[in-house]
Amino acid sequence: MLSSLLWDFDTSHVQILWLLRVTGHVIGIHSARELETKFDAANVLSRLAILYFTAAWCGPCRFIAPVFEELASKYLEVVFLKVDVDELKEVAARWNISSVPTFYFIKNGKELDKVVGADKTELEKKIALHLGKVQSP
Amino acid sequence: MAVSGFEGFEKRLELRFTGADPNGPGLRRLGQFEINRILEAAQCTIVSGLGNRFFDSYVLSESSLFIYPSKIIIKTCGTTHLLQSLSLFLHHAKKLGHYISSCTYTRGNFIFPESQPFPHTNFKEEVSFLENDLPPRLSERKSSVLRSKTSHSWHVYTSRDPNMLETGAQNEVYTMEVCMTDLDRSSARRFFRHENYLSGDEAGREMTERSGIGSIRANSVICDFAFDPCGYSMNGLLGSSYSTIHVTPENGYSYASFECVGLGLGQGQEMEEVAAVLARVARVFGPGTLSVALRAPQGAEWSIGEAATVLEPMGMALRGARAVDVPGGGNVVFQAFERRREL
Repeated sequence: MLSSLLWDFDTSHVQILWLLRVTGHVIGIHSARELETKFDAANVLSRLAILYFTAAWCGPCRFIAPVFEELASKYLEVVFLKVDVDELKEVAARWNISSVPTFYFIKNGKELDKVVGADKTELEKKIALHLGKVQSP
Repeated sequence: MAVSGFEGFEKRLELRFTGADPNGPGLRRLGQFEINRILEAAQCTIVSGLGNRFFDSYVLSESSLFIYPSKIIIKTCGTTHLLQSLSLFLHHAKKLGHYISSCTYTRGNFIFPESQPFPHTNFKEEVSFLENDLPPRLSERKSSVLRSKTSHSWHVYTSRDPNMLETGAQNEVYTMEVCMTDLDRSSARRFFRHENYLSGDEAGREMTERSGIGSIRANSVICDFAFDPCGYSMNGLLGSSYSTIHVTPENGYSYASFECVGLGLGQGQEMEEVAAVLARVARVFGPGTLSVALRAPQGAEWSIGEAATVLEPMGMALRGARAVDVPGGGNVVFQAFERRREL
């Protein structure tokens, strides 16, 4: 897989290229290191990143998963990341995840916002808000 | 009193199943399409949802849905056809290898009973409808109407299969359902959306914080929602226990409900905590009338004095208490309180 070849090159421009290639889809994260790499790449480009915590046993996650994919294909300038809480227990613990789905909005290394729960409308509203597409007082 | 308005009083259905692998996901395997179809029959939709290791919770357009591996609880308000969902729940549960072992249907009394669709026009019709959809092996049946000296009364219907052993039931100590009407006006005002720029989620979170709902069961992870132009719903997740609150704030038919399930912590401590939660709820909403129905299993029955101990000092006078045994052991204690008028 191209992504695993790129993994061996620890240069930021390669990370950015990788990021541009997978724009439009949800990126599944399978290690803590991978998460750091993706955040770094997003930061270099000053892109909004959304970190979505999910679990196989969670019913509400089934409802929001296709919505998250759809949003990824619509908002190409946003980086959509997905973490399974059972697969990456330490990452889930670090982010204090006890319930899912939970979405964190991150930009330039800072946590801007959080959505707890599978609220389709809310998710899209927050994306629009953090992309500066709506006015907030 | 308004001629007609939104009906806050809910109808609640609790279905318990057997057939589950005790450590497996059980009914949580119900798919998105199946759940949507079931809710369509009940005439409500999913607004949000949140799950943890123990159960899934959904905020609906008209209240809440909770799905545990071997238990489903659905609560809807307004003029929803809640009971239409029963046969579909049974059908889809069966496809997953789960068979109903007991059914409990509870509700208070409608503010606008004439606006309710069949069979919710009266309790007898509801019981008849339920029994038509439930398998006959659920042969231990009981229906009761518990009245008080206030406008609040409580309807309980339970049916169970005496030959089935329920899994997971031993972890639960009690279910508390609180209904409140004639809410304090300044408390009710908090549940109107004043700022249009806030999203439903943000507005919901503000309502949770400003009203003090967040401290009723501290440490709960809350999934809240504010409706437009008014109204509020929340589900709280605390380990394997949920709490849920729904508010209809309009003057003339204001209503709020609080419900939670208890954890098996040990009887004495548990009952004190139950009473403390009840007091916090009453403080948040300042109702003119409050009724509380507590269902507890055998050996953990709530005594008549517990609620009064915390509510009387708040100016709420006990105006009726009734207890009834339920099939399978345990009982339901129903009590109603009214705010004392200042003389």
